[in-house]
Amino acid sequence: MVAAIANGLAKDSKRSVNTSGAANKASTEELEDLSINKRFSLWNFWVCSLFLKLLLVPDYFSTDFDVHRNWLAITNGMHLKDWYYEHTSQWTLDYPPFFAYFEWFISHLVPSFVRRDGCLDIVEVGQFGWPTVLFQRLTVIFSESLLFLVLQIYINTSEVEERTQSFIVASSIVLSPGFLIVDHIHFQYNGFLFAILVASIVAARNKRYLLCALFYSIALCFKHIFLYLAPCYFVFLLRVYVLNFENFKFRSYKDLIFLIRWKNLCQLGMIVVGVFSLCFGPFIFDMPQLLSRLFPFSRGLTHAYWAPNFWALYSFLDKVLTVFALRLHYVHNFAAKFIAPSLLPSSIEEIRQRIAEHNNGTKGLVQDVFFVILPQISPKLTFLLTLFYQILAVIPLLFDPSFKRFMGSLTLCGMASYLFGWHVHEKAIMLVIIPFSFLVVFDRRLLISFTLVSSAGYVSLFPLLYENADFLIKTLYTFVWCTIYFFAIRKTTKLSSSVERRRFFLDRIAIIYICLMLPTVFIIHFFDVMKWKYPLFEKFEFLGLMTYSVYCGIAILSSWIGLSWLYNFDEPLWM
Amino acid sequence: MRSPEPKKKSPKTKLKAKSKSNPKKASKLNNEAIEEVFYASPLYDFLYPFRPAGNQWLAQYIIVTFALIIRCAIGLGSYSGMGHSPMFGDFEAQRHWMEITQHLPISKWYWFDLQYWGLDYPPLTAYHSYILGKIGSFIYPKWFTLNDSRGIEMEGIKSYMRTTVLISEAVFYFPAIIYFSKWFGKHRNQSPIGQYIAATAILFQPSLMLIDHGHFQYNSVMLGLTVYAINNLLDDFYSVASVCFVLSICFKQMSLYYAPIFFGYLLSKSLFFPRLFNIPRLVGIAAVTIVTFVAMYSPLYIFGGGLENLIQSVHRIFPFARGIFEDKVANFWCVTNILIKYKIKFTQDQLQLYSLAATVLGFLPALVIIVLYPKKHLLPYALAACSMSFFLFSFQVHEKTILVPLLPITLLYTSTDWNVLSMVCWINNVALFTLWPLLKKDGLILQYAVCFALSNWLLGNFSFVTPKFLPKMLTPGPSISAIHENYHRRSLLPHNILWKVVIVSSYLSMAVFHYLDFFVEPPTNYPDIWITLNCVIGFGSFVFFWMWTYYMLFTLRNKTLMDL
Repeated sequence: MVAAIANGLAKDSKRSVNTSGAANKASTEELEDLSINKRFSLWNFWVCSLFLKLLLVPDYFSTDFDVHRNWLAITNGMHLKDWYYEHTSQWTLDYPPFFAYFEWFISHLVPSFVRRDGCLDIVEVGQFGWPTVLFQRLTVIFSESLLFLVLQIYINTSEVEERTQSFIVASSIVLSPGFLIVDHIHFQYNGFLFAILVASIVAARNKRYLLCALFYSIALCFKHIFLYLAPCYFVFLLRVYVLNFENFKFRSYKDLIFLIRWKNLCQLGMIVVGVFSLCFGPFIFDMPQLLSRLFPFSRGLTHAYWAPNFWALYSFLDKVLTVFALRLHYVHNFAAKFIAPSLLPSSIEEIRQRIAEHNNGTKGLVQDVFFVILPQISPKLTFLLTLFYQILAVIPLLFDPSFKRFMGSLTLCGMASYLFGWHVHEKAIMLVIIPFSFLVVFDRRLLISFTLVSSAGYVSLFPLLYENADFLIKTLYTFVWCTIYFFAIRKTTKLSSSVERRRFFLDRIAIIYICLMLPTVFIIHFFDVMKWKYPLFEKFEFLGLMTYSVYCGIAILSSWIGLSWLYNFDEPLWM
Repeated sequence: MRSPEPKKKSPKTKLKAKSKSNPKKASKLNNEAIEEVFYASPLYDFLYPFRPAGNQWLAQYIIVTFALIIRCAIGLGSYSGMGHSPMFGDFEAQRHWMEITQHLPISKWYWFDLQYWGLDYPPLTAYHSYILGKIGSFIYPKWFTLNDSRGIEMEGIKSYMRTTVLISEAVFYFPAIIYFSKWFGKHRNQSPIGQYIAATAILFQPSLMLIDHGHFQYNSVMLGLTVYAINNLLDDFYSVASVCFVLSICFKQMSLYYAPIFFGYLLSKSLFFPRLFNIPRLVGIAAVTIVTFVAMYSPLYIFGGGLENLIQSVHRIFPFARGIFEDKVANFWCVTNILIKYKIKFTQDQLQLYSLAATVLGFLPALVIIVLYPKKHLLPYALAACSMSFFLFSFQVHEKTILVPLLPITLLYTSTDWNVLSMVCWINNVALFTLWPLLKKDGLILQYAVCFALSNWLLGNFSFVTPKFLPKMLTPGPSISAIHENYHRRSLLPHNILWKVVIVSSYLSMAVFHYLDFFVEPPTNYPDIWITLNCVIGFGSFVFFWMWTYYMLFTLRNKTLMDL
């Protein structure tokens, strides 16, 4: 690699020597002209990724495949009223109704030979063969085309000067390893669902606020995980479309009435209410059942594999402290002098007892996470923390509702919920990376934060695919995606004026940190392959997953800190 | 301030403004000296952002990574003989060799249970298997326990074997191809991006990808070593070239198909050109060749119990007892066998003699030309003509062997003549088509279709379709500005009307074949009729192409590298 860079530099210098001699003005202009009028089409990307995705059809798929197959069967074979009551299979329908309608629609496209294969049978565990796999994989591939379409519109509606950047953003999203891993191997419909969210972002960029609200509420009715972004959308639309500060003078409280553009408010309200009534109307008498399916609160703080968020680091700290306290008693004795027993176990015996009671680990089903040393975390606390940081992210939007701010606040909202939420899935990182992609092209200083969160986020998806066959595909694809897009974004973004304020020391560390991810992934995989040989490795099987979540967690947390810093304290960047 | 800068992925305008453009490229634009290869193809669109000097270094890593990714993805499919007990297929053969080479002494390698996939490749394959087997046993010994592991299909072994092919290819094939295309590009004043486009075109050759990573073999090692040999010939390192070529032969005897040309070229370079009777060079080449052979075979002799083992290994490598052809293959003997039943009419010895005579007659003109005109730009053509004659006329040819003539043919993607390029595209498709029965048997139908579509689409063979049905906003390509109104892929057919007829009719017959193969049951008394049809189409096309390579050899013999 170093040699290659040196080689490239040598080439450059050679070329510049050549150039200094005979620069021909006419031909220069010609070259410049050649670069105008370029076509920014995602067509090639669509075709090319289509080929790759088709090759992935025989690949491993997770239980989510059977989940979606079961939903196809439920929506096809049952009356609408029973959709949310059906529980033959453990994979009950737990997406909002629009998604159920979507599945219902797809189930009508099932050809007869796929139906005979057992695609539409309501059974406990799906019995199916390759026709079902092929059919469902194809529905993912073709529904994802919507994402390409929306992003093509995004490119075409952006200013001519910004086309290059828009093109980079759009292609980076459609080629994202996240969609490849989660949709086309693991099996989900994220590409299609995010297309709707992206549509609302594009509408916001084009100042079509009603469309923005429409698309966002549709997206919300497809997948309720988008609820995490709701505060941001709410404040943005409120400020930019409903409130009117232009000729506002406060003389008495009566004037507050003129602050609100009532007509706009009614339009907005009608759209949102309309979408929601379309979605939930048919289920109006079954709402408690529906909601209990959508929001199952019986789950634990973290998933079996810790999503790399704040709680992963917290759990990790708890484990480290436990080991320390058991090995080095005086540490505990010292700490116990300052910290009251409710926050800290009073004695070593109590620690031992706690461990015995809750055989806590990352293996197995973790319904209830229990911390040995550190204070327990309640859902309420996570909710408050999330809300607090979301509000912090939203406040600047009230004063400056520009698209840039909106994207920043959207990213931070996503990050806050990802980092502090209750039972967060590692897949939720897409909720951060997608809005961030739109933001990062505005300034190069955002790049380092973006590289951290996107590389760590995608790497944290790796444990989803635990099969050896997928190891090289996921690693190579993520690697090449990161190389291309970090390079491309670096080349096309500009630095704003306040460049020298911060030394680039931290950036260097971040780059090293990202580069070290590759050997880490390889080492973890090596231990995973060799674990049968050494019982020691087997015992610490969870260690690999823990390394993933802690390593990526640190990256994502520092990315959040970096972005928050720029968001709150760097005014010129957001002008 | 700056003019609109709608660039694909990188600030080329900015860079250009800094370096005030590149006079080399500019002059090229003026003179139209050498056109980009595959101008306006999707490949060109993809690699266009890497044109600025600052981005070029990245291009090759990205090409190679994507080549690896697509190979991994092909590898997700099944392999030959998956689940077909008791004999399984080539995958099991390769695994079995890893098993026997590490568990048996070297004296038993070529003797052990020959009925069950006895080792029938030269010793370098055995050593290669030995190393991979050792590594594999370190990871999980059960994959390679002697005898007990036969037909093993547990989780992990497939991934391991696939990874070994991938790594072998990445070591032996990729660097060779990239070096080759860079060398040709540099010596023919192609732009760097043109060189990378050519390299990508070669690396995404569908037949090799499917046979190595789908069906499962290690052909890329042999082919890569051959390309290393060619590269060294290009750089005038004759001894190194012969070492590489001998290693290639010692990996798979199939690379003997190239031997006459290497022999003729080296002979001519040392005896006649550039000066007469360069005896030191001749002696050097001869000595190095012999030493390499000896080094390769000496373990068989020293540790393996003497001459007997050596003879056995040679005997295993050249299985004359197995008849003039085994499965259906698109060569002369198999196709004319429809009319003349060789196996009944002639004895084995007679057939051997006839096939030898036919082969020698087939490659002799190429040999003569390369001896008389030992020029670098003739090498791919001469190698193609020679190996194609072997494929068409020699004894015991497999359908997979088409990869051998296909290598020098595919190397012609470095050419910039659209006639040549379209011929190479065409014959690549034909070759893939002749592999269809094999791939169908292996359960690689999806991979076959995708690789066919991908390789052709990347080279822009479908580009004449896309602009017509796509809405204007989606029309791909970096530019359709006023200057380049002609921004569309050149026709995928050569200019000559006769060739157009031949190629179009061959494509049509392939389409008809696929229709028949898919929808129509073969008549009961001729169960192989569709496969025979496949062979006939393939054979016809190969013969035409073979004659074309000869035509090119004759016409190019007095020209230079620039006219390739």
